Amino acid sequence: MRKNTGILRLMKNKIKIFRAMHNLTQEHLAQAIGVNRQTILAIEKEKYIPSLDLAFKISRYFGVNIEEVFIYDEKTPTLMPA
Amino acid sequence: MKKNTFFLIVGCIALALLLIFWYSVEIHAPLLIEIAFFVGIALVYLAKRKVTDIINDERDVKITEQATMRTMQVFWVVFCAFSIGAVMEILRVPAFPRQAIGTRPPDILPPRMMGYVQLGLLCLMIFLYVGFRIYYAKKYGDFEIDEE
Repeated sequence: MRKNTGILRLMKNKIKIFRAMHNLTQEHLAQAIGVNRQTILAIEKEKYIPSLDLAFKISRYFGVNIEEVFIYDEKTPTLMPA
Repeated sequence: MKKNTFFLIVGCIALALLLIFWYSVEIHAPLLIEIAFFVGIALVYLAKRKVTDIINDERDVKITEQATMRTMQVFWVVFCAFSIGAVMEILRVPAFPRQAIGTRPPDILPPRMMGYVQLGLLCLMIFLYVGFRIYYAKKYGDFEIDEE
């Protein structure tokens, strides 16, 4: 049974921005942290939420805190008018 | 070892298994193909460990896990249904008064058909796995369009 907590959790990230700042391709970043390029693409597109291990690896590669790259956003859904 | 070399080895093993299968049918020795199959799969696993240019990261592992779990969730129900049918066949008690040998109703699942049923179940499992794998690969962004 699916548990409804009433909170919409969204994991967003700024990998694309950090990549642009460091002038990195997806391939380069993927090779540096030991994953497939498709995984970086999936994370950027928010199709896949990385594990804590991978999230730390990415943020440390850019030399910033994890919360600067990944944003954990909790929103309570508002009731839509009928 | 490169990825393409690995696929070439897998192709050669598959061809060898096909030949052994044909030969074991000819000499009517099922044990031969069974042992060959075990050896072939062991060789594939050993060869896979030597491949250097395949990165199996956490997203791949997650896709595999999810696809395997869903395949098992569906497959065990189908397998259990067939198994119950087979057990019912084993436990079948002749009706009273005893039927004459000639009037015995045909088996739902004759023993000779079991091989075909097993093959069918194996094919079902493979199709389910491939289907779920494609679904989860799509869900976790495998077919996303690259902007670079």
